[in-house]
This record gives sequence, C-alpha cells and structure tokens, in this order.
Amino acid sequence: MKRTVFLVATVLWVVSFGFTVLRAKNPQTGTPTVSSDPQYAAVVKQYCVTCHNDRLKTADLSLEKLDVADVAAAGETWEKVIRKLRRGAMPPAGARRPAQTTYEGLTAFLETALDRAAVSHPNPGRPLPHRLNRAEYANAVRDLLTLDVGDVAALLPADDSAYGFDNIAEALGASSVLLERYVTAAGRISALAVGDPDVAPGSETFVLRQDYSQDQHVEGQPFGTVGGVLAQYTFPLDAEYELSASLMRTNVDATRGVEDPRQVEFTVDGERVFLAAIGGSTVGLPGQDTEANRPKLSRSDAIDAQLRVRVKVKAGPRAVGVDFLQRSLGENTRKLQPFRSSLDSYDASGMPHIRTLSITGPFNATGPGDTPSRRRIFVCRPTSAGAGQTPTGQQRAAGSAVKTEEACATEILSTLARRAYRQPATEADLQRLLEFYRAGRRDGTFETGIQRALQRILASPKFVIRVEREPPDVAPGAAYAVSDYELASRLSFFLWSSIPDEELLNLAAQGRLKTPAVLDRQVRRMLADDRAEALITNFAGQWLQLRNLRNSVPNEDLFPAFDDNLRQAFQHETELFFGSIMREDHNVLDLLTANYTFVNERLAKHYKIPNVYGSRFRRVMVTDEARRGLFGQGSILTSTSNANRTSPTVRGKWILANLIGMPPSPPPPNVPPLKESAEGSTPVNIRAQMEAHRANPVCASCHQLMDPLGFALENFDAVGTWRARDNGSPIDSSGRFLDGAMLNGVSGLRDALVSRPDIFVGTLTEKLLTYALGRGLDHHDMPAVRKIVRESANDDYRFSSLVLGIVSSTPFQQRLKGTDVARELRTAKSF
Amino acid sequence: MFISKQSLPRRTFLRGMGATVALPLLEAMVPAMTATAKTAANPHMRFGGVYIPHGAIMDQYRPAAEGAGFEFTPILKPLEPFKDSLIVVSNLDRPGDDDSHATASSAWLSGAIAKKTEGQDFHLGTTIDQVIAKKIGQDTPFPSLEVATEDFAGYVGGCSPAYACAYMNTISWASPTSPVPMEINPRVVFERLFGRPGTGAQRAAHLRQDASVLDSIKADLDDLERNVGANDRVRLGEYLDNIREIERRIQRTETRNTTQVTELDAPIGVPQNYGEHCGVLFDLLAVAYQADLTRVATFMMAREASMKTYPDIGITTPHHTISHHGGKPDVIKSHATLNTYHVSLFAKFVEKLRNTPDGDGSLLDHSLLFYGSGMSNANVHGPYPLPLVAVGGGVGKGHRHIVAREHTPLGNLWVTVAEMYGCDGQSFGESTGRVQIT
Repeated sequence: MKRTVFLVATVLWVVSFGFTVLRAKNPQTGTPTVSSDPQYAAVVKQYCVTCHNDRLKTADLSLEKLDVADVAAAGETWEKVIRKLRRGAMPPAGARRPAQTTYEGLTAFLETALDRAAVSHPNPGRPLPHRLNRAEYANAVRDLLTLDVGDVAALLPADDSAYGFDNIAEALGASSVLLERYVTAAGRISALAVGDPDVAPGSETFVLRQDYSQDQHVEGQPFGTVGGVLAQYTFPLDAEYELSASLMRTNVDATRGVEDPRQVEFTVDGERVFLAAIGGSTVGLPGQDTEANRPKLSRSDAIDAQLRVRVKVKAGPRAVGVDFLQRSLGENTRKLQPFRSSLDSYDASGMPHIRTLSITGPFNATGPGDTPSRRRIFVCRPTSAGAGQTPTGQQRAAGSAVKTEEACATEILSTLARRAYRQPATEADLQRLLEFYRAGRRDGTFETGIQRALQRILASPKFVIRVEREPPDVAPGAAYAVSDYELASRLSFFLWSSIPDEELLNLAAQGRLKTPAVLDRQVRRMLADDRAEALITNFAGQWLQLRNLRNSVPNEDLFPAFDDNLRQAFQHETELFFGSIMREDHNVLDLLTANYTFVNERLAKHYKIPNVYGSRFRRVMVTDEARRGLFGQGSILTSTSNANRTSPTVRGKWILANLIGMPPSPPPPNVPPLKESAEGSTPVNIRAQMEAHRANPVCASCHQLMDPLGFALENFDAVGTWRARDNGSPIDSSGRFLDGAMLNGVSGLRDALVSRPDIFVGTLTEKLLTYALGRGLDHHDMPAVRKIVRESANDDYRFSSLVLGIVSSTPFQQRLKGTDVARELRTAKSF
Repeated sequence: MFISKQSLPRRTFLRGMGATVALPLLEAMVPAMTATAKTAANPHMRFGGVYIPHGAIMDQYRPAAEGAGFEFTPILKPLEPFKDSLIVVSNLDRPGDDDSHATASSAWLSGAIAKKTEGQDFHLGTTIDQVIAKKIGQDTPFPSLEVATEDFAGYVGGCSPAYACAYMNTISWASPTSPVPMEINPRVVFERLFGRPGTGAQRAAHLRQDASVLDSIKADLDDLERNVGANDRVRLGEYLDNIREIERRIQRTETRNTTQVTELDAPIGVPQNYGEHCGVLFDLLAVAYQADLTRVATFMMAREASMKTYPDIGITTPHHTISHHGGKPDVIKSHATLNTYHVSLFAKFVEKLRNTPDGDGSLLDHSLLFYGSGMSNANVHGPYPLPLVAVGGGVGKGHRHIVAREHTPLGNLWVTVAEMYGCDGQSFGESTGRVQIT
C-alpha cells in the first residue's frame, strides 16, 4: 500500500510549519495602513510563492495564481494565510521576512478585504436540524416540567461530538435505536411528572467510584458523619420505598473496615430515617435475617443485608443520603496512614466504604402527592369529575362536566406545547394532543389523559428536534434573518442548553426580541440566571476538556494520595472559577491571570494553601504567583498528563488547540513513543528524554511548537503539585512561544498570551461561536469572529461583550437559504 | 500471567431483593420471555462480531503452523477449550493508506475506507452485521444489537483528528452514512430487550402506547418538513424511516407468545469493574440469542485509542499508551497480557454459549462469532496482518489455522460470510473476492 505518499505530505507540511522567529505585532496596538494591492501582490510573490507555488505546493497550498486584487475570490485560502500571519508562524525560520510594518500591513489588508466582502455578501451558514443532545434534553425537561430526570445517560445514548463539542447538529443524527429511546424516555418522564398511580416499582442504584475516599465529611451530609453519598432522587408517588446500601469489598469478597463497630445512617432530606449497626461483634450475626431465608449468606452478604430499610416518603425530588457516623475526631485514616489508597483492592482494614445506594419502589402508594412537576403541569383543575369526584347536579344537567375537563385539558396542553415546541401550538398540534388526552381519559382519569398527551409532546419531533424554517419569499443563496421564535431558541440553547422561558417567548410573540436594547437586556438577564450554569458544564467542560478528567487515573504507586475526591475537587474548582469570570463579568484574560480561586480542605492541602478546613468550597486569594489562573489548576494539569508523568507534548497541544487556535496536525504513523528510563539506569528527566526524541526530524518539526509551550508548565507534576526537581534533577521550565520568543516558566507563558490578547480572545470566540451555532466554523465566519474580538476589546474583553458580540453577529442572527442539495452540504473546514 | 479479579455478581445485579421486597417487584424485574423454540431441524445461525482495539502482539497471537491441529499461542490460549469450533484466519489486510484509529475500527466489519472528514458527510460502508441483519433480522424483535463499554460523550481529543467521532464510536453501520450507536449501559440494554419494569400486561400497554405515539408523531414530521430546505428535508426523512423501523419492531414483539419463563436479573447500570461490565453485556447478548430476541450482535469491548487502565490485572498504564510499545520488551509483555485478558473475557462468553442448549445442540453450535481488531501492530497503527479468530458451529470443522494469501482484503472475508447467510453478490469496501473458511 502507498503509505509513503502520506508520510511525504506530512513531512512537507511539518517543514512548512517549522520554526517561527519573528512576531506579528499585536493588531490592537496600532492600525497599520492599508496600502495598494500591487505592493502586497509583490510581497506575497516574494515571500510566500517561493514555496507555495503550483509546482511545489508546499503544505498542499499554492498562492501562485491568487489575485491580491480580489482577495474575496479565494477567501478560504486567504483565511488560512491570515491565521498563520496573525500568530507569526510564517514565513518559516531561515526564510526572509518583509519588514514588520509590511508584514502587519499585509495581514490587515487581507483581513479588511475579507471583512468588507462579508458585509456586502454575508454568508451566515445554515445549521442542520438539530436534535437535542442529552444534556439539552434533560434541561428542557427540567424547565418544562420542573422535573429532574436524574441520570440522563440511562435514558438516552451518548451523543457523537464534532469540532470539540457534543451539540453540533451535523453529528446529532438519528437512528431507530435513538428514536426508540426518546419515545421510551417520554413515557417514563410523563409518568413521573404526572404521578402515574400505576407506575410499577423500579429500582435506581447509585454506584460510587472505588477510588472515592470515605474518611472525610462530604459536603451536604449531616455534620458528624463521614463518607457515603448524597443522591438526588425524584420519588414518583407518596409511598413506601426501600433504601439499601452495600459496602465495598476486597478482591476476596471481604467487606472492608468492619473489624470495629460502625454505624451506617440513612437520611432523606437530611432527616435520619435509619441507623444500622455493623462491624465488630455483630459481624456475621445478621439478627432475624438468618439461615431460614438465606442458608448461604456469606459474611459480607450478611452485613449488606442489614443495610436495608423500608420507609414512607412523600413524592417529589429529595436528597437521599447514606453515611457513616464519625466515631471520634481522632479516627482518620488519612492522618494516621496517609498512603493507604481507597483503590487498594486487597486490604480489608481501614475505613468501610459505601459501594452502592439503591432506592426501590414505590410500594403501597397512597397518592401522587404534591410535587413541583404536578404544580407546573396542572395549571388548571377541572371543576368536575377529575380524579373521581362526583360532578355536581348542575354540571351533570348541563352536560358540562366533560366539556369542563376538555377545556381544562386544552389549557394545560396548549401551555405545555407552546413551551416544548418553542412557539405557539397550532390548532392541528392541539387536536393531536387532545386525541391522546381523550384516549387516556377513556382508559382512566383526567390525569391519565394528561399523562398520555404529555408523552406525545415529549416524543414529538417538534420538541426533540430544532428545525429552522426557510421562508419561500427569499431567493436561493440569499441570507435572511431567522424568525423571532427561532432567535429565542438560539439564545436559550446557547446560554442555557435548554428551551426558551416565558419571557423570551413573549418577547418573540411581540416581535421585540431583535431590538438591540431588548436583546442586550435579555442576554444579561440570561447570563445572570441559574440556568447559565450550562455554559460552565457544557461549554467550559468541553472547551477546557474538564470532562476528560474522569478518565484520568494517575498511577497509584506514584501518586498514592490521589483519589476521586481530589479529582472531583479539581473539576469543581475550575467550574467555580470559570463561573466567577462569567457571572462577575470579568475580562476573559482573567482566566489566565486571576489572583483568586476556589478550594475546599482537600484541595487546599494539595495546593499547600493554609487555614482552609471542611468540605465546603470557598473563594481564596492565590498568593503564589505560579498558581494564578487556569495554568495553576489541577484539573488542567492532570487531564493533560500521563498516568505516570507529565507530558509537555500533551500540555503544549492543549495550549495550541484551545488557547491559541492552531491545533497541530496528527502525528504521522510509525512513530515510536518515548522510552521511559530503563530500570537500573541513571534517571533521565523528561526534558532530556524528549530532546532525544526530537532527534528525529519528522517529530522535531511539530514538537518544536508543542513541547516548548508544555515545558513552561514543568514545575507542576502529573497531578498538579508544585515541584522543583524531577527524578533528582532541577526542573528547567524554560520554553518558547510560537514566534520564537523565550518563555520562563508558567509566568512567562501567561505573559506571552496576555501580551497578545487577540490570539487568546480570538480562540475563545471561535470556540464559543462554534458552540453557539452548533456547527463547525468555516472561512465565511472569520470576519464575524474578528468583529466580535475588535468590539470586545473596547469593553475590556468582558465575558458579556463576547456573548453579546456573538448573539448580534451575522451567523447567529441570520441563515442562508439553500440553493440545491449538493451545494447545501457545507464542507466545513476546521481551523 | 495476570491475577483475575473475582467477579462478584451481586454488585452488578439487583439480586437478592426477594426476601424483603414485595412480589410485584420480582415480577417486574423478571421478564417473561420465550425460551428457544425447538426448531431442531433448522436452527438459526447467530452472528456475532466482537471488537478489540489496538490489535495484538502478533507473534504471540498467530499460530506457527498452518492448517489443522495447530498449537495455541499464549494470547489465544483461553480459547483452547473450544478448539473444535474455532478457526484462526491470517493475512487479512485493512484497506486504505491512512493508518489511524478511526480507519481501524471503522474498517473492521465494513472492509471499507472511512472518508476523511469531521463533518456530516462521513461515509463508510454497510457492515457485515447489518447486511446479515437485513436478511435474517426481520423475524426477531431486534434485527441486531450493538453494545460497547466506553462512553466518550464530551471527551475531547478522543477521536482521530480529521475524522468524525462516529468512525470510532461504533463498529456497526446500517448504510454508508448511518452509524448505529452502541449501548454502554447494561440496564438500558436489559430494558430494551425486556421492556420497562411492570407486569406483562403493563409492558404490553407501554408497547401499545409507544406504537400510537410513533404513529401520531409522523404528522408532526410532515409539518416540519413543509417549510425547510432540501437538505434539512433529507435529515428529517431519516427520522421518518427510523420511526417506521421502530413500528415494525413493536409489531414483531406483539406477535410473540411468551410460553416459558427464564429468570434473569436486571443489571443495575454500568459496573465500574471492566471485567464485570463485559461479563454483563456478554450475558445479555447470550440471553438475547437464546430467547431469539435477536440473531445478530456486535460488541466493541473497548474503543480505539482507549485510555482505560486495568488495575485488576496489574496494568495501570492506559491501553493506548501501552499499545505504542516502542519495541520495549516489558511494554510488549503488558500488551500481550492485556490481549490475553480480553480473549479470556470473550472465552467466558463462548463457554456460556456452549453451555446453553439450543435446539438439537448448543447456542455455540448455532453461532458464527468473529473476534478481532482493525489493527495489527498498534505501535505503528499497522493494518497488516490483522488478528482474527472465528468461533462457533458456523466455522465448520474447527481447530484450523487458515492462512489466506498475503494482503487479502478484510472485505473478502465478509463477502464469504455474507454468502453463508444467504446474502449473495455483496461487496464490502475494497473486497476483491472471497476467503475460503469452511
């Protein structure tokens, strides 16, 4: 097979990308003059076409035939050129460069030409029909019905992602398996929301990670307890439920930590409902639950059998907890034995660990109860025979009983459908729902009817898929403004990952949402709303790759103190931190430089921040300069490390892709990985190892961009702990920026990024815009990105200025009418 | 050798609730289902495709001798007890020149080259399981079942650069443009197979209700299609096709009679222990075969570029990292250990099938299962020679090592297999002919 072709192409690309010495000056600091085309045609010919010509086609790019007088004719190619120029990455090392003013002048000239063309010929692109992904689905149900669906991963399959996000319309396809799950989910959710009295008992189990240490107090649990789990669970009916737990066992099936007596507490909404004594002398003596029932009950099974209680619980969302009573403050395995890992699967001594919490029921239900979802759904109560009441004589005489119920059902269903479908329900919509209502009413009660119709709403493609209409009166290939209702949805799915609320729908109905002042006010209101939490979990979670953290498992021999508690704390810290930038509307560069962060005791110890006690997170000043901003946070540092060591390459790649906007090309095949230092030989530090690796010229050309960025973070080990030495030798944290400027450690890296704000802010804008539109960006979108960054610069790069820039941008406000199917297939290019 | 962690089923199943939990629950958790009908004269030949990422250490995989009676290599050793219904097929080659994780997993059952794109215009080929499902799957409630172990939702950098994630998230494609999602949660697989908790009557009512919802929402799709562009209409058309597919499945389920009850506990969710997770999914596949709920199944035991660690068997470095062993003997040893471990999990499934009666023989007698990878030497993402074994009565005479001619396209194997299921005249990606395996 012809593998050489690929290799050669890669080498050429790599070479063209290679060294960068000069630096394009920050465009914010001075506006270079836009001069005439002939001058720049000569510059391009002299400095670019020597490699990028039709014959050599270096990096598969030729600028030879391109006309500088008509930049817009080859916008896609010129945008690639601009990206390299803006970051000072071309021409490569050794090649001559024009004078800096000419260099910047060319860049500005190209940008201006493309920006002008975009104004006269806007191309806002066209997102495909967009299936709600599972996070959006869960949020939409929450906002429609005031109902927490619990573990949405158990309801819907995983979504594919593209361009770094899982809300990209292109990747959210349909399959029968998937649609079946949406229909099933609709059935479950409608039963739970209405309080279906016939709901069959089911069981939900919460499983704790094995590396979750349980010797400390858990935030939200009663004081004086350690470990366990607090689970949010929506009880479907007022009824009896069985709560049960099981304890962690070792590989040989022995329950851990039961040499001494322990007390296990079950709580519902903070109230103790059961206290079980286990361990010590009670081991193997399960009381009444003996031989007769369980002749083969093992010792460990006997212990678990005691952790079971049936309690009466009122319907609705509740916090169900299980924990251990703390026996004495002195008992704390972390202090006594700091290196005992919860992950150890052989050692049966130490603290017991909860492994699972199960909730099973309902049994002996007494009624649907009074739940937030019922209050939300039943905005109207039939005055008559609803849930078994007898109609009054008068109603019966007038024959109005049924009519009253129908009127009520109509009110309930049109209210729900308007919000679910994100626009007023049509008469046809309503009739379809009423058919289901009537069928349910025939089989049961008024509420049965509502429940059936609700399932129909939740399964409807009008709920599950976001579709944007194409007006017939617009010419093919022309851009047009999306409707007010569509804009309301674009806003709510961008900022809340959910459906629009009443206020947005009302403004859309009044046709006022596009008024700039109204839009501005709405965006600020939405950012201040709790639902904007979605920007943290969904946008930042993916942009900063926080979601990868759960897959980071540092080697337990090298990092014995690492546990899931620390992993969770890492994630929580960065979420709170990003949230503070967003909610307090800081300059987004503060993400890199802020002198504060959020820690609890566990995390503060890890960072060596004194005087922080307890499980609660609080804001603290960061006095250690190195720890400032994202680069000092364990979440980023750990998720970009290998299990046993740091990886300057992975860290450098992370920085290039997510902060600089120039993701490196994938490695060519046939590259051997780093050799770890062989046992017995002299330890070699990672820098020395990697420099040896870079002796290979194929590797070198790309790694010379990535590794020097990653090396700047070498003072942080693979779990983000500060270190001065690695394997005995002092850490050398010197690095180099793309343009060749030397960096000294994390501060140097931070300064380099902050001194070129358009690179970082531009990259963040591209990521946010991708997420906001639910599609990959292409060259048509770059003028919009530049405009957002320019305008945001005048507002101190505040978070809100980026968001406002996006929602008022052409691609967000408009849509391109298709011409024919073939051309509609956007060949989106990833930048 | 590795130390196998003791499997503790009670952690995985909602077992042992009978003592204190009322009867309705028991009934809810224990689905009524048909044990296999006798059909001795004409048993259904099940198809299975089990994928492992990152290839294998080939010199510890491939038997030295060609032909009958070969000696089992260390990695294949766990399958030795089933040697009489097992063949090893060597010299298969993955198509294409771009050696990435995406091209590896996507090529396995398709024999096709993944189109290099991150966008919606991804294109591969119909996979052998789906070709067979279209032929023999229409008689069962589920034409096919697809399961996997790793949920990569939102995992950034988990896909090969420049390739759509779909190429790595599934090994099953219903058409060149329709990847079939794989289910990770055993509990969900269970409920798909057996319905939501409830009595038999309740489950039937759920089905009827779902059917009427499906029928009705087609009108909503019509509304939506009316005012959209041509390309959007194509997208929405896919929804309609899929609605019809679900409707057909519900009809098939309704017409089945439940005569005999087999007890099966409902899994609680995704077990943390990898071995347990695989075990539960294999059990569900076995019971789905047994009850004739489906005859076609695919299982991606781990995903390409998997960063999973295996502390149970002493492997704390991620699988992907180990697979780039760089020729280091100790890392190669780890990779071989992991290869053997995966084979041993598969062998348990094979054992279960052998122990399950089906008609005049066992389920294994009436199966044709493939176990393999789209990579050979993962250190270089090598496409050749691919590791592959086939197990079950479908292989004909067992204990043979078939050495195909050098660089036989993977698709040739699937052409042959398709013919075995009565699907003649198929081609798979770059296939050029057939591979004689029986």
